[in-house]
Amino acid sequence: MPRTLWRRLALAAVAGVGVAVWVFPVLWGLLTSFKTERDVLAYPPVWLFKPTLDNYREVIFGASSIVPNLWSSFVLATATTLLTMLIAVPAAYALGRLRFPAKRMSGFYVLVTQMLPPVGLIIPYYLVLQKLGALDTYGGLTVIYLTFALPFAIWLMVTYFEDIPLEMEEAALLDRAGRLRTLWYVILPQVRGGIAVTTIFVFLNAWNEFMFAVVLGGNRVRPVTVAMFNFISVEQTQWAKVAAGAMLAMLPVIIIGLFAQRHIVKGLTVGAVKGGGRR
Amino acid sequence: MSSRDTKGPAKPARRRVMQQGVALSAAGMLGTPFAPSAWAQGDDLAPYRAAKINWRQVEGQEITVAVIPASYFDNLIALQPQFEALTGIKLRFEKVPPGQIRQKAVLDLSSKTATYATHAADPMYYPLYATNKWVEPLDKYLNDATLTDAAWFNNNDIIKAWRDAASWNGQPYGVPYDGEVTVQVYRKDLYAAKGLKPAETLDQLAANAKALNDPANRMYGLALRGFAGAGQNMYIYPSIYRGYGGTWGSGSNLVVNSPQAVAALTWYVDTLTAYAPPAVRNWNWPDIADAFSQGTIGTYVDAHSSAAVINNPEKSKVVGKIAYARWPKGPSGKRVTSIWTWSFPINAALSDRAKKATWLFIAWAASAETQARTSWKFAGPAKRSGINRVSLWKSPEFAAAMKDAGDNFIPAALESLEQDTDVDWRPRVPQWPAVGDTMATAIQAALVGQKKPKEALDEAQVRIAQIMKG
Repeated sequence: MPRTLWRRLALAAVAGVGVAVWVFPVLWGLLTSFKTERDVLAYPPVWLFKPTLDNYREVIFGASSIVPNLWSSFVLATATTLLTMLIAVPAAYALGRLRFPAKRMSGFYVLVTQMLPPVGLIIPYYLVLQKLGALDTYGGLTVIYLTFALPFAIWLMVTYFEDIPLEMEEAALLDRAGRLRTLWYVILPQVRGGIAVTTIFVFLNAWNEFMFAVVLGGNRVRPVTVAMFNFISVEQTQWAKVAAGAMLAMLPVIIIGLFAQRHIVKGLTVGAVKGGGRR
Repeated sequence: MSSRDTKGPAKPARRRVMQQGVALSAAGMLGTPFAPSAWAQGDDLAPYRAAKINWRQVEGQEITVAVIPASYFDNLIALQPQFEALTGIKLRFEKVPPGQIRQKAVLDLSSKTATYATHAADPMYYPLYATNKWVEPLDKYLNDATLTDAAWFNNNDIIKAWRDAASWNGQPYGVPYDGEVTVQVYRKDLYAAKGLKPAETLDQLAANAKALNDPANRMYGLALRGFAGAGQNMYIYPSIYRGYGGTWGSGSNLVVNSPQAVAALTWYVDTLTAYAPPAVRNWNWPDIADAFSQGTIGTYVDAHSSAAVINNPEKSKVVGKIAYARWPKGPSGKRVTSIWTWSFPINAALSDRAKKATWLFIAWAASAETQARTSWKFAGPAKRSGINRVSLWKSPEFAAAMKDAGDNFIPAALESLEQDTDVDWRPRVPQWPAVGDTMATAIQAALVGQKKPKEALDEAQVRIAQIMKG
């Protein structure tokens, strides 16, 4: 009995250290967001201080409120995620299951698009969007986001489809279910976890994107990542406001994360539990 | 109709008053958060109507202006309803972080998208802009009596050093809106305690730093920008280099590794290594001003406008203990300060009508009246210190607004602007963006001790020779 207790304590300690490394920056940001600019710079750093809500008031209601930018981020990330999943799920299924000419090559091609450093694509994208009149529009930026979200989602989903025993599908086909029926009723429920994981990662990537948004966006489409940057001016960095903005920007992501946690864990372990498919 | 506008501040016709009323209420309905304060502090358009031009000649035109997030542009944005009421031109401001505004402007100009009618331009980019004819030469706007009332606008009143910085081959391409000049900023209480005087030479600057340096008690003698960047360490180093008697060579034959350059960089590296906080190698000026405001630095040499940060009572512990002096002389006896200006060019890809609208915006923003309204007349807390006109710098109102900045603030800055500037303190070539980055990298390599100053500069010379050829 004591032995297992020790074991548990040791495990908790190790886990605690691991979690602390992750939590510290977030906690620090959270504390900073309640400090005055003066307390932010205090040395040695203060842990006890008179908290203020001024930073939040400023980033929510102030002249440079980030609320419209949170909305921008939400629209962009949601549109990107919906379109990506709509295309990626059937595409991944096709790549994972169907036989068609040039299958290997098309799979490889999807991957190739990920091999270019994104920074090299900014100028071509700018010129293309300019020609289409799509600079600083939701449509334009969503299409650009698809270019990195789709390949990522397809390749992630392929692994989930490949993990499903072929027999399940064959059984359904034998029962005279069509391809689409099989996909909908038999296959998709099996990869629910995978879909959840992929959806969240795609959403997160779009939500956190900065580089394309800052160049290809503008006054109309300005996600929160870009808006927050404006608290870092040439005159001074308003750390407390950056922190308050960051906390607000994290909030939706954390909520979605908590909501989908069950699926994520399931998604990550599904292969292991079921003994895997062909791998 | 137009004769009314060219005869100065005649009594406004009834229709015009109504138009303005509409513009006014429209601005109110659009919910510009600044609108009430902007109007409260003097919505009188008469000072502008004194100009013998027709402000409403391109009424209805829309233009987009890119600026950086900074209080001096926020103050201008706050006055947007006044400009719209005056001209009938619809303004759209877009705030772009300083790191991206150059990139976005170059993309916009080179692809002739005409997204930004004008933008807050880096003066070092004018050689590039002008060589490619991406922006308009401005003499034709300045000399066109329908667009500029020369007596009213008084272009020569704008600080010459900044005008020169926004010109190329003698032709103006941008009109300075705001600017900076680099000065010594020091703790007068610490100087007095040790019997020090503000440095007249670089040697004295190092000696003062040595006298104050006490790292064990978190007190460092000196800080200068160390962060790698064309506008960071390559903003301070050129002044030292010029003080050592260095020049950049002529035409495309850029020289960056002369014996003076090696001596200047060695001084920079040695002084910072000995008397600056170790992290200074990665500090840009906000970091320096933050550290100074926490009382951990004795002297720094940087933009006069940093006074706003170190005098911010919410942040600073050294309010009332600050004084200013000019850049110290180098061993050659030369005093070359670094300057900065955000100026407005006109995008050459615009339609003629939009170009006129843009010019009217520029003339409005750079006018003495708007400069005063964004400085001491501004209702908000931030009073601009980078106003663009000599007459305003010398005005009692400006002196009153800056009285709490610290000792000798206006004289130090104004003397520096009038006597210590040299438009070629940095190499003004179309290839500047690449040249500046190369130099910045070399300086930082020397600062962190990766390379010896000579080695770093020799390598930079090779690279820059290639850049200039290609």
